[in-house]
Amino acid sequence: MNVGIAQGERNPNSSWLNSRGVWLTYIILLFVLHFILLSIPYITTPVAWTLTTTIHNICSFYLFHLVKGAPWETSDQGRARRFTFWEQIDNGVQWTGTRKFLQILPIILFFIASFYTKYDRTHFVINLATMLLAVVPKFPIFFGVRLFDINRY
Amino acid sequence: MLASSSSKLSHATLVHRYPPSKLHSEEEMSDTVFSSDENEMNYKRENVTHKDDENLQCEEFEETPLYAAILTYLSYAILCLFGWLRDFLRNSNIEKKRGAVDPNAALGFVPLYQSYESFYTRNMYTRVRDIFNRPIASVPGAQFELTERISDDYNWTYRYTGKTINAINLGSYNYLGFAEKSGPCATDAINALKTYGVSSCNTRIELGTQRYHVELEQLLANFLHVESSIAFGMGFATNALNIPAVASKGDLILSDEMNHISLILGMRLSGASYQTFAHNDMKDLEAKLRAAIVHGHPRTQRPWKKIIIVVEGVYSMEGSICRLPELIALKKKYKAYLYMDEAHSVGAMGKNGRGIMDYFGIDANDVDILMGTFTKSFGSAGGYIAGKKSLIDHIRVNSHANTYASSMSAPVVQQIISSLQLLKRPEGQKRICQLADNTRYFRQKLVDMGFIVYGNKNSPVVPMLIYMPARVTRFNREMLRRGIAVVTVGFPATKLLDARVRFCISAAHTRQMLDTALMAIDEIGTDISLRYSTRHQSRRLREL
Repeated sequence: MNVGIAQGERNPNSSWLNSRGVWLTYIILLFVLHFILLSIPYITTPVAWTLTTTIHNICSFYLFHLVKGAPWETSDQGRARRFTFWEQIDNGVQWTGTRKFLQILPIILFFIASFYTKYDRTHFVINLATMLLAVVPKFPIFFGVRLFDINRY
Repeated sequence: MLASSSSKLSHATLVHRYPPSKLHSEEEMSDTVFSSDENEMNYKRENVTHKDDENLQCEEFEETPLYAAILTYLSYAILCLFGWLRDFLRNSNIEKKRGAVDPNAALGFVPLYQSYESFYTRNMYTRVRDIFNRPIASVPGAQFELTERISDDYNWTYRYTGKTINAINLGSYNYLGFAEKSGPCATDAINALKTYGVSSCNTRIELGTQRYHVELEQLLANFLHVESSIAFGMGFATNALNIPAVASKGDLILSDEMNHISLILGMRLSGASYQTFAHNDMKDLEAKLRAAIVHGHPRTQRPWKKIIIVVEGVYSMEGSICRLPELIALKKKYKAYLYMDEAHSVGAMGKNGRGIMDYFGIDANDVDILMGTFTKSFGSAGGYIAGKKSLIDHIRVNSHANTYASSMSAPVVQQIISSLQLLKRPEGQKRICQLADNTRYFRQKLVDMGFIVYGNKNSPVVPMLIYMPARVTRFNREMLRRGIAVVTVGFPATKLLDARVRFCISAAHTRQMLDTALMAIDEIGTDISLRYSTRHQSRRLREL
């Protein structure tokens, strides 16, 4: 399927997050998730915000840091096979616009969730834990690091 | 005088068409700035050739509307969700696995493939696989026969009913209409087969060079107004194996972003360093040229042995044309070499069909290495390199395609020779004019209807953007239902957002065929809302 590719981009996974409108779609999807949670009657607003941040952070950890390779056959001869999606973005260049956006978003969500939960202790602990789960693996120092050989191959 | 007055006319229509509030490309900016008549006269007097170039280079790449982008991402997100669901069902044996399964994985061997690698193929491509790779049952001319195939299990397997569908062919590269099974070229090719046999089965340097190869190369050199040329059996291999013959370690290759994979393979094989510059962006290219000359190699700072700029004449996915006058100016200023791949433009562009140089009116000796293929415009197969005799002699000795590949077979060569000779006669000129006429008519109608069409208004490759995967599929199937076969391309052949349908106009298309196609596109475009353009008012075909 990839001989018909006219362009030479080796791994489209590296650049599609820079396309027009992706960041906006990301934020829209987040709001859609939040509204779905808000519309369930037994969930109060603080719980809804905590649930939104938790679900977002856990899903983003899974998608960005656990899943490796790309969902199509790349023309880079398997170079991206061992890299997670986060490491493939922009071919490994750090501190690009997309990376900064994705790093800031969990932090902003944490602020919003802390505000709406009125700084309650339980909510704070949960939000902080998931925020760290989402933000810490994105540090450049953890590029290519697999702790305790988990997820190495 | 004639040229400037015709360019004045087309300039006037340009002003008419693009409202000044929605400008994006530089060409349009300069055209509407000088919109009043006095200014137009002044501009015309100052630099007429520049304005001619402006009109030849009139390209449009309208930006993706935001709502279309968001809906496209949402479509892919929903497809992903369903993909995960189906994968889960398949892995937990609730649903049968229909794809190929590695038999050794169950026996405890390390799996050969990662199942995530085929996620896209399983869950998105296979679901709509019937719109791609359709087998055909006749020569791919302007109208052809498609074999009808029906799938009972959602495109995992097909069964052939035995019937064929007659359809208008808007997908094959057949720019001058030479893909026909009867006619002077076909008769000549059959006679050549009877005279010379199928193939000499030998390489060009041993016993493979026959008189028809020499004749073809001479004819081609005369046609292109160059000193010498050499032909190969495969167009892809021409690029991939000849760039290593002219470039090597220590050289720098600057290639356009949208170059074909054969050029990129050639660049990688050659061992030279390569950088890409933004598509058709001459400022970016100049900046990179200057940086390369000033800084040299990245680590050692030694000067580059030579710098080669690789561009294509007409880009097949975008429909844009390279900016040849500016490239020649840059090349001469910085003493770089230019390699131009005219796969889609030789035969199709220019007054005499000689390609982009004919289109811009530039001397063929300005481009150092001219490459082209015979597949698209000459109804044959193979590729060629043309240029100075010293270059071609070097390639004859040093190119892998010449020394290790078997020579072109006789009927293939005869088809090219016959079509080249036909192009010199009035009948050939008629074909070239018909192609240009068809191209401009089709493009103008599409743009007037409000669809987003990329590329230069004179390029016979017409990409129309559809963006969403479901709309791409629906468009393709609806067109086939109306008897028109089109080629739709999506991710990963194009960028994630820019799924499109690519029409290839041919000289063999009659006005009625194009009108049928336009009516069908108009209907389907209204049904599934494909009129994304904000620059052009969307109108129905009956209002035009």
